[in-house]
Amino acid sequence: MNPADEPAPAPEYSEDGVDLSLIRWMLTLTPAERLEFLQRRINDILTIRELNAEK
Amino acid sequence: MLKSDLSATLGALVKAGVEFVLVGGLAAVLDGAPVQTYDLDIVHSRSTDNIARLLAVLESLDAVFRIQPERRLRPTASHLGGPGHLNLITRFGPLDILGTIGRDLGYDDLLPHSVEMDIGGGQIRVLDLETLIAIKEELNSEKDRAVLPILRRTLAEKKNHSSH
Repeated sequence: MNPADEPAPAPEYSEDGVDLSLIRWMLTLTPAERLEFLQRRINDILTIRELNAEK
Repeated sequence: MLKSDLSATLGALVKAGVEFVLVGGLAAVLDGAPVQTYDLDIVHSRSTDNIARLLAVLESLDAVFRIQPERRLRPTASHLGGPGHLNLITRFGPLDILGTIGRDLGYDDLLPHSVEMDIGGGQIRVLDLETLIAIKEELNSEKDRAVLPILRRTLAEKKNHSSH
């Protein structure tokens, strides 16, 4: 089957609604990479908040 | 612009030789849990020498109590010697300095339940996921209950991962 024709894989959630693929992705990172990722997210959010506060 | 720099705050503590265990949401992230957090929570050793080192770092970070930042109230050695929580704002963002957490667990109680992690700018002690979960289960606040399913699943995935 052409990969483009394949159905999207079903998301994997635990019975209590936790996204297991997100956890598995986080566990592939080192602690330093997790810290860097969180820092980038926080900075992005602060930038967006500031942009919108000026309007 | 508002600034957040988790690495710079942790780096300043490491560089000054402050003894602390990282706890809270950032500990959960470093333990591998995909949760969002904005502040940095530490439980510090309340020895006289460590309080002096911590106080010097807080001064260099321009730390004041964030409840009334306009009053520019600075933490003192006496504040840092107590078991309570100091919610501060620094030039690198929020920083919570905790004398104890859970059922009066201080630095010496938490140290055996922490793991050393390399954060790029040095090694820090981070509360392990099992203990973080146990403390949140004990506290049982709405905020803690909200995050517990993610922490428990992360712990299960880690155990599953390490057994293969």
